[in-house]
Amino acid sequence: MSQLIRPPLWIGQVIFLFALGALWQALANYGFINPILIGDPVGILLFLYNGLFTNYTLVPHLLWTLWATVSAFLIGSILGIGVGSLFVAYPGLEKFLEPIFAGLNALPRVALAPLFLLWFGLGISSKIALGASLTFFIVLSGTVAGARSVDSDHLTLSRMLGATSTQIFTQITLPGAVPTLFSSLRLGLIYALLGVVAGELLAARAGLGQALSLFAGSFQTNGVFAVLFLLALIGSCILAAMNRVEARFLRWK
Amino acid sequence: MPMPHKANVTQLRQQSMSAPRNAALEMNGRIQVDNVSQKFGGVVVLDDVSLAVEPRQFISLIGPSGCGKTTLLNLIAGLIPLASGSIGVSGTSPNAGRRDVAYMLARDSLLPWRTAQQNAEFGCEIRGVEKEIRRLKAEKLLEQVGLKGFEDSFPKMLSHGMRQRVALARTFCLDAPILLMDEPFGALDAQTKLQLGEILLSLWNKEQRTVVLVTHDLGEAISLSDRVIVVSARPGKILADVAIDLPRPRSARALQKDHRFHELYAELWSKLEIALGGSI
Repeated sequence: MSQLIRPPLWIGQVIFLFALGALWQALANYGFINPILIGDPVGILLFLYNGLFTNYTLVPHLLWTLWATVSAFLIGSILGIGVGSLFVAYPGLEKFLEPIFAGLNALPRVALAPLFLLWFGLGISSKIALGASLTFFIVLSGTVAGARSVDSDHLTLSRMLGATSTQIFTQITLPGAVPTLFSSLRLGLIYALLGVVAGELLAARAGLGQALSLFAGSFQTNGVFAVLFLLALIGSCILAAMNRVEARFLRWK
Repeated sequence: MPMPHKANVTQLRQQSMSAPRNAALEMNGRIQVDNVSQKFGGVVVLDDVSLAVEPRQFISLIGPSGCGKTTLLNLIAGLIPLASGSIGVSGTSPNAGRRDVAYMLARDSLLPWRTAQQNAEFGCEIRGVEKEIRRLKAEKLLEQVGLKGFEDSFPKMLSHGMRQRVALARTFCLDAPILLMDEPFGALDAQTKLQLGEILLSLWNKEQRTVVLVTHDLGEAISLSDRVIVVSARPGKILADVAIDLPRPRSARALQKDHRFHELYAELWSKLEIALGGSI
């Protein structure tokens, strides 16, 4: 009976990550690759630690970006749900506006950044505008697609029960739209972060994107990697949080 | 002084109300179909169909697929507008959403975000039945269809047959004197079908309602109904109207071994073959 007990997956993953870090460190320390190009793991961790807990150089940037992302997400998704509901209620309106919206949606939104900078200045507003413009279209199409996904059997049933249009909307259409709406919200939040950081990279007073371009411009490679690490962490936290909320709200799925 | 006057009024009122009330009582639950014809884009689906269903009678419509039996049911339900002829449901014209009619589809059409209990209550909720009353009613019905303990389960956790039982509970929760059922057990396997037929019989025995059941299962039609109506292939006409004289209360399971059941089955099968003949 020599049955091997499989170690949990995460142990292997940690070892792999550690080995990768050690290799990286060795390459940088022994000068195989110029550390200006790749930085070194210990330096990155130190930069991150100091930036967050001792000299706080990263903290204002982090808060600035988070604040802009949350604002962009809220504005974009509220407008998206609002306009989407109007489109569902008045299909004629959607038909009329469809070409304009399709064109705007096809336009790479980041290309609007210079315009937003012109309109809203170098401060946080232009970043919020860019992030919100990304979130808006994602949530808009999610709302419309969700509301359209109504089961025809449910509509027949409601008709036979004599449901009013308000009852059909609140009891059938709305709950049925939630799963689609939710995945669009999750995507919208990630894109809000993308829009904000892209705007900061271009021109900003603060923010992780601005820090990124500053560090890169002054060859502080460890700083660049520290910010990238932070951004990946924010993205993962957003996804994890959204998954938790979804699991709670969509227990029936 | 006012006494005789008052008595007079009461007497008058009684006289004037008693006649229509009796008539209404007779009509309550009665379905009358007269000379109904229906076309869909030039194709005649129903051709001069006439049929009367007495209150609290259980009838089945059986026939080849596409023969218009579902169309007839949907006309009675008021889901599609009537082209020619007339239909009376409890003495008035059909109308989707009227409170004296409950409708059940082949697919369970449960709302996936509601638990079994909430689904069973859904019809009553839409029709404005008070919260506590509908909760108790739905609870009792779920128990009667054998789903006690599953009240808080979501549809995804229930089997096909269990979901259709919830749909049965939702339908019976409505207290409607007329039930229209469109192949309610059509999507189930033979064993589950028999089980649900049994449940439907027991619910119907408790409070008899007028039932029009569309089915393609002859055994199901015979074991459940007072009358089986055979509809021909398109254009749909009534080929036979056979009274099922099996004693009630019946058990769908016990009937499988009943002599008279098989006689009726053979008789109706030959009629059904004529109906099918048109389409072959």
